[in-house]
Amino acid sequence: MSFTRQNASATTNTRNRMNPSPQQAGCQGERWARVPTPNPLAEDGYKELSKLGAILEGRQSRPDQLTEVLQDMQTQFQYLPEDGLRIVAERLGIPLIQVFQVATFYKAFSLTPRGRHLLTICMGTACHVRGSPRLLDTVAGQLNISPGETTPDGAFTLQKVNCLGCCALGPVAVLDGVYRDHITPGKLRKLIAAIYKQDKKELRDNA
Amino acid sequence: MPEYVNLTINGARIRVPKETSVLDAALDHGICIPHLCHMRGVLDIGLCRLCLVEVVENGRSRITTSCTLGVEEGMVIRAHTEKILKLRRNVAELLVAEAPNSRAIQDLAVRCGVTEVRYPFHNASCVLCGRCIRVCSEVWQSNALGFVGRGKDRHVALPFYERPDYCKRCWSCREVCPMTIVPCDGPMKEGEEYLCGKCASQLTMVEYSPDSCVWCRLGEGFQCARQQP
Amino acid sequence: MRRITSPDDLAALSQQVRRQQHQYATTIIACSGSGCRAGGCLPVWNALRAELDRHGLSDTVYVRSSACHGFCEQGPLMVLEPHNIFYCHLRPEDVAEIVSETLVNNRVVERLLYTDPVSGKKVISEGDIPFYRAQDRVLLSQNKLVDPCQIDDYIATGGYTALAKVLTLMKPEDVIAEIKASGLRGRGGGGFPTARKWEKCRRAPATPKFVICNADEGDPGAFMNRSVLEGNPHSVLEGMIIGAYAIGAEHGFIYVRNEYPLAVEHTGIAIEQAFEYGLLGRDIMSSGFSFDIRVARGAGAFVSGESTALMAALEGKLGEPRPKDVHTVEKGYGNLPSNLNNVETWSDVPLIINNGSTWFTAKGTAKSPGTKIFALTGKVKNTGLVEVPLNTPLRTILYDIGGGAVDGKEIKAVQIGGPSGGCIPADLFDLPVDFESLADAGAMIGSGGMVVMDESTCMVDVARYFLEFLQDESCGKCVPCRLGIDRMLEIVTDITMGRGTENQLALLEELGETIALSSLCGLGKTAPNPVLTTLRYFRTEYEAHVRERRCPAGVCRALIHYAIDPEKCTGCQVCLRSCPHGAITGGKKEPHVINEEMCSRCGICKEECEFEAVMVR
Repeated sequence: MSFTRQNASATTNTRNRMNPSPQQAGCQGERWARVPTPNPLAEDGYKELSKLGAILEGRQSRPDQLTEVLQDMQTQFQYLPEDGLRIVAERLGIPLIQVFQVATFYKAFSLTPRGRHLLTICMGTACHVRGSPRLLDTVAGQLNISPGETTPDGAFTLQKVNCLGCCALGPVAVLDGVYRDHITPGKLRKLIAAIYKQDKKELRDNA
Repeated sequence: MPEYVNLTINGARIRVPKETSVLDAALDHGICIPHLCHMRGVLDIGLCRLCLVEVVENGRSRITTSCTLGVEEGMVIRAHTEKILKLRRNVAELLVAEAPNSRAIQDLAVRCGVTEVRYPFHNASCVLCGRCIRVCSEVWQSNALGFVGRGKDRHVALPFYERPDYCKRCWSCREVCPMTIVPCDGPMKEGEEYLCGKCASQLTMVEYSPDSCVWCRLGEGFQCARQQP
Repeated sequence: MRRITSPDDLAALSQQVRRQQHQYATTIIACSGSGCRAGGCLPVWNALRAELDRHGLSDTVYVRSSACHGFCEQGPLMVLEPHNIFYCHLRPEDVAEIVSETLVNNRVVERLLYTDPVSGKKVISEGDIPFYRAQDRVLLSQNKLVDPCQIDDYIATGGYTALAKVLTLMKPEDVIAEIKASGLRGRGGGGFPTARKWEKCRRAPATPKFVICNADEGDPGAFMNRSVLEGNPHSVLEGMIIGAYAIGAEHGFIYVRNEYPLAVEHTGIAIEQAFEYGLLGRDIMSSGFSFDIRVARGAGAFVSGESTALMAALEGKLGEPRPKDVHTVEKGYGNLPSNLNNVETWSDVPLIINNGSTWFTAKGTAKSPGTKIFALTGKVKNTGLVEVPLNTPLRTILYDIGGGAVDGKEIKAVQIGGPSGGCIPADLFDLPVDFESLADAGAMIGSGGMVVMDESTCMVDVARYFLEFLQDESCGKCVPCRLGIDRMLEIVTDITMGRGTENQLALLEELGETIALSSLCGLGKTAPNPVLTTLRYFRTEYEAHVRERRCPAGVCRALIHYAIDPEKCTGCQVCLRSCPHGAITGGKKEPHVINEEMCSRCGICKEECEFEAVMVR
């Protein structure tokens, strides 16, 4: 399940709450809309559950292992499915809200599935000074997405990261796990176009 | 018999049991240190930063929150220096600029000496004081509420935004929330928020005795920790 | 692998490995750090190994995948020993020539040599390259000599002899005394005297105790910890074991940010190998001292690098800071005494034990002894990792080592210390880079990141950039940081959009001071630094934005206009195709026009135009 907020605005602390009556506590616990997204644990339940079981092996009642478990899940499923998180809470012996907290606090975790190709652009100081914001403009123009979003066809997810540690080679982008140094808007456009072409070719070949 | 400790707050020598926090020690002795996230019966987390005080040790002073500071023998605390009053005022100004539609926050701001708000008003419905969460986890042991997200996206939520079965529907979260008190003159219109501070109990007292407890009605219903439940 | 049970065992192994290494006539040091990998070095080394096989040279030439040399922009690079030749910017196609010309015929391949950007001359040896020559590479020089995945390499260079000395000849109090005499201060940013921390932790009554290595290096622009940890993890391990012995700790953690996958991998391998040799685990070197280490990964949060937040993250909880009224050396991980130090601090420890505290104090200043690694990046000719004694003037680092500004511009400022630091203007470049001098100027060493800025960088935009970063990374717990940074960003954004007022400049200063004094953790406390230092040293830029609605550097998008000079435009359509907003129109060979309404002033057209026809006003 993914979650969209009603009345989302630029500064998310600003919500149009005019009359906080006793009925509506400040936290808006139930005013968030749930949007259905694929849940691998439901679809291919047994196989995916056993993968989760392997991750949780030896970690029964070990609340200190929470972050490690979530990282393994993120690598395995490419995101953190809700049902999986409920199982994690039970198995590790932690309140569900705590699991939810940790899952939403860290950038490495995603509660919604990512696209087939993950494009991460470094926005560290050295890369910024060398023009990395233009790379975001390029992606906005070519794919029409902002950081954190996925293209409607599920091909690309764009992410910002605040420094990959390759500062001398900036601007740096990582596409499908491969680091690209000295990336310019032109090079990035070509890379994205090449991947689209490759994707189309694979679809044709597999069809 | 509990062990006692002697310390000095604002020049007054007081004697309190060993495990008390400096904030509780001050409040018990009629010294007003404004606070928002502190609440009797739950753990102090020091996140509103209103109860800041200066601790003087070895000739140097450092600033910290009095709610998380445990009393120690011979401690010297200054809770109402010019510096501290200014900090408190500025922090309260940030709060009221963020959530002007709360009577408790308005009262608190005026008690801290805010007379003008230099930022454009926002209209938040939660100041993230964490009272609801702590009442739920520590008093009721339900763990149905928590802080979710990070930074400016941080907000209070139920797990996966669904009220679980183990929420006891006690509504304590609403009772302790500083936002759920109906504003006195009705809600401020969006875009027309302002610093209220009209409550008589606040305005006059702030000028003459910022450091003494005046049994003000800080946010009726939203009890200052000094008021007996 | 045999367990090492005594210093004699260690010495014997070291000798054995060195004999093995000497069997090779030539050693090629092939840099395989993250930087060079990003530059594509792995295909080059694969090609190299294949080529050596073809020539039948694999038995006489040893290729060592070394750690990061710190000169990433020149990568992929290699050093040939004993020829002492340095080749850079390598491609797989170059390998054949290197083998046939240099290895077989003993001739230098000129075109692969380093060209000094200042003199224009070619340089053969690493030692003659001005970038390296002006440094004192106490830590970094080891990276050349070791393959991070081979513990034998580290032992051959004298690794673990400091540990042997400590376990057999020194008492814990002696170790702390030696570190105290060296004056070592934390290299992660705080600059707290290391020995004092160790002492406090040792004296704390509770047990068990923990030692922790902070490898979260979240500062954008800093990568020295990455280089040391992924390049020479054993130096960190040795330091931690020595520290644990001195403090009386039995367990250790290394918390690595998850954006450094290679560092995580190499540290894991190093720990395994150390266990196999008995340098970790029970009864190390028959001394009766036992110690084990675990690696934990970060998950993408800058704030988790703060000491209390890090310990919370290790406990599996949310990695956000806690109030620090009781120090973590008394109540840290699991409310037990925990000593946290930075990667570089730990790496310095074995060197101090082996070389003595007077060797360390001979470098730097009285209050800031020793060397520190800085990451020099930005608008400077030579970018990379720079290790210098702490009394080196900034000017030396920027000009003698860095080679000065690029593109014929002038260096305007240096941002030191990441988001917690500040911007130092050009007229202060004679300042030495020690803890006190930088703190007085309003900045701080921080992790050691140095980003060089020239006249094309807008300092107000820099302040806005850092505020955005801090807003993104703030945990959001306390009011002054969460709301205060938000408001500072609001004001600075107004200024960059030309909506700022004079009053707002004074308000920025007051708000900055408030946030600095009232925040819960170091992130909030130092958050106003970039704003306050840019206001202090570059007030004229702020005033231009406010009074004249003008951005002197031509960066702030709301205050500039892009236009195409019809005389220079050749109508090649490159800008038209690269504009992400479709704001440029014009037929082939006709002068192009930018539609101001649709233009977002991103600057891509100007970057792509080869005829310099795009103007910024």
